[in-house]
Amino acid sequence: MIKVFYNLPKKVIFCKLCVMSNQRPSSIPEFKHTKNRKNAKYLHLDENNVCDACKQAKIKEKIDWKKREEELIRLLDKYRSSDGSYDCLVPGSGGKDSIFQSHILKYKYRMNPLTCTWPPIIYTDYGYENFKNWIELGGFDNITYKQNGKVMKLLTKLAIKNLLHPFQTFILGQKNLAPKIANKFNINLIFYGENEAEYGNPIADNLKSIRDKSFYVYKSLDEIYISGLKVQEILEKYPFVKKSDILTYLPLQEEEYELKDLQVHYLGYYLKWIPQETYYYAAENCDFKARPYRTQGTYNKYSSIDDKIDDLHFYTQYIKYGLGRCSYDSSQEVRNKHLNRVEAKALVKKFDGEFPDKYINEVLDFIDMKKEEFYNLCNKFRSPHLWKKTGKGYKLRHTVNQDGTDD
Amino acid sequence: MKHIRLIARLDVKGPNLVKGVRLDGLRALGSPDSFAEFYYKNNIDEIFYQDVVASLYDRNNIFDIVRKTTKKIFVPITISGGLRNLTDINKALESGADKIALNTAAIKNPELINQAASKFGSSTIIISIECIKHGEKYLAYTDNGREFTGKEVINWAKEVQSRGAGEILITSIDNDGTGNGFDNVLIKKISNIISIPIIAHGGAGKKEHFIQAINFGANALAVASMFHYNALLNKKKNNLVLNKNNLEGNYDYIKKKLSYKNFGKESILSIKKYLRNYKIKMR
Repeated sequence: MIKVFYNLPKKVIFCKLCVMSNQRPSSIPEFKHTKNRKNAKYLHLDENNVCDACKQAKIKEKIDWKKREEELIRLLDKYRSSDGSYDCLVPGSGGKDSIFQSHILKYKYRMNPLTCTWPPIIYTDYGYENFKNWIELGGFDNITYKQNGKVMKLLTKLAIKNLLHPFQTFILGQKNLAPKIANKFNINLIFYGENEAEYGNPIADNLKSIRDKSFYVYKSLDEIYISGLKVQEILEKYPFVKKSDILTYLPLQEEEYELKDLQVHYLGYYLKWIPQETYYYAAENCDFKARPYRTQGTYNKYSSIDDKIDDLHFYTQYIKYGLGRCSYDSSQEVRNKHLNRVEAKALVKKFDGEFPDKYINEVLDFIDMKKEEFYNLCNKFRSPHLWKKTGKGYKLRHTVNQDGTDD
Repeated sequence: MKHIRLIARLDVKGPNLVKGVRLDGLRALGSPDSFAEFYYKNNIDEIFYQDVVASLYDRNNIFDIVRKTTKKIFVPITISGGLRNLTDINKALESGADKIALNTAAIKNPELINQAASKFGSSTIIISIECIKHGEKYLAYTDNGREFTGKEVINWAKEVQSRGAGEILITSIDNDGTGNGFDNVLIKKISNIISIPIIAHGGAGKKEHFIQAINFGANALAVASMFHYNALLNKKKNNLVLNKNNLEGNYDYIKKKLSYKNFGKESILSIKKYLRNYKIKMR
């Protein structure tokens, strides 16, 4: 019996329409992410080997977008302010999607958005330029919540050691900051962009415009894990960390939430979301610039480019689930018909799992880890049912190109 | 002064004419040969076909489109994208192209420029250089702006001239698809040191940009977005075939009938007329 980590499905099956496999994790509230991923769910494939994300794409083709836009306008009319206060909040970092969300809400639908930013762990210079252009050329008020660097460094390092998850502190902040800011400013509406379900959460999720509150509300500290540890453990082990330092990463508490009419919506429910078109929109309206070279591990240049640690994040996904950044990008483009499956497979063969050496030294310096230690750590996180150790290092047992060691 | 040429640049991916911003995010706009025909009827001087994914997939399927095009179009046609060796170049010329352009292959193997120039003649060989500005320096890229090479552009331009290239197509990736104007500093830097014709590409958005680039030393101007988006304003009248039921390509732009605000409403003819006012010689 080959061992299986993270509660992953034993048998690797690829979707026959895109290049995703049933090893792709579905979203869970990040603050419940434990090492063994006991209750984790993975991308569902039906009996014909078609994944939920591809089915969702088919459903999307039949949506009456005119009607959805009318629904949006009704919602906005209900909350639109006329007294000079903010009426909605758009969290973002100045990437193409947050530019699109905030800009269209403000200039087409005449809302009064506040924007808020949980800054990347390590900004890329072009990412920072895009952030500045978003606020300065786009014209938005912005609250940037600059974290305690010392604590973030520690938590990021622990998340890598315990979960091989370099991006966790960013995800926590990015997801949890907005409801707290909205609460402080008495804003009722928060807009995220796309629903994660488009990429493979259970289909039912996507029928709603509202984000499930389990993602941004918690009851008690006991249920919270950060960097794979209970909050209490962190506080005991690292005396310089105060509870107030940790609360920054946590969601809204349920008691606070109950008092307010707070709604977290996906704009992607109301407006047809095509990543490539948001890129155009951002370039046209806020002079958004793509990364000045191909992103390592994939073929494009315009998505998720503001954090130097992001490339490593995708690399660790490749280690843990056998799916790299190119598998994600090309599957999405196949569903949007920008690519066909033959091209996607060729791209995966060419780029998936490419080691992100461009920023690796900087990232490891930041968390104070030796390269050797990081490589060894990666090997520990390879699930044996996905990886085979060969004379030439670790090889995937199964790939979408069927050239794995066990295919 | 020599004649200045206007070149329609058609980026092709599979069956579609595509166009990106800064060479990424490729929108599908229609059937490439219908656009080429429209530009020909409107007095374009040359057509430049670029297979934008040929290097990425190590394949070449642009020849059929060119074969189709040459039956109806009688201005010089250039093929670029994925040409790796003399055999590929020969095939491209046999399919009806008058010239070919090299980028990725020339950077990998500069000797290919000498071989191609001596076999097919310098006037047949264009070297395409895709540039991104890094501080004060310009660096060359391959694979449609994806792969960083570290090659410094000015010296590379000098080298390709000495190896026998007939023309240089210089693409500013930073300006491509933005309509913000050509990178005139880059054009100036190159025109200062080389004597073969320079085709400026990347950034054309309004007619003033053309005269600026010419004044900085461009001998020809390659234009994509500005021509395409204007052609699309009158799809029917211009006989453009949209292919929007194709199984691949981002056709959302066409379907939603969006417009792109960064481009002036100019035709090839009106740009030529404008340039003649500046005593620019044109065909």
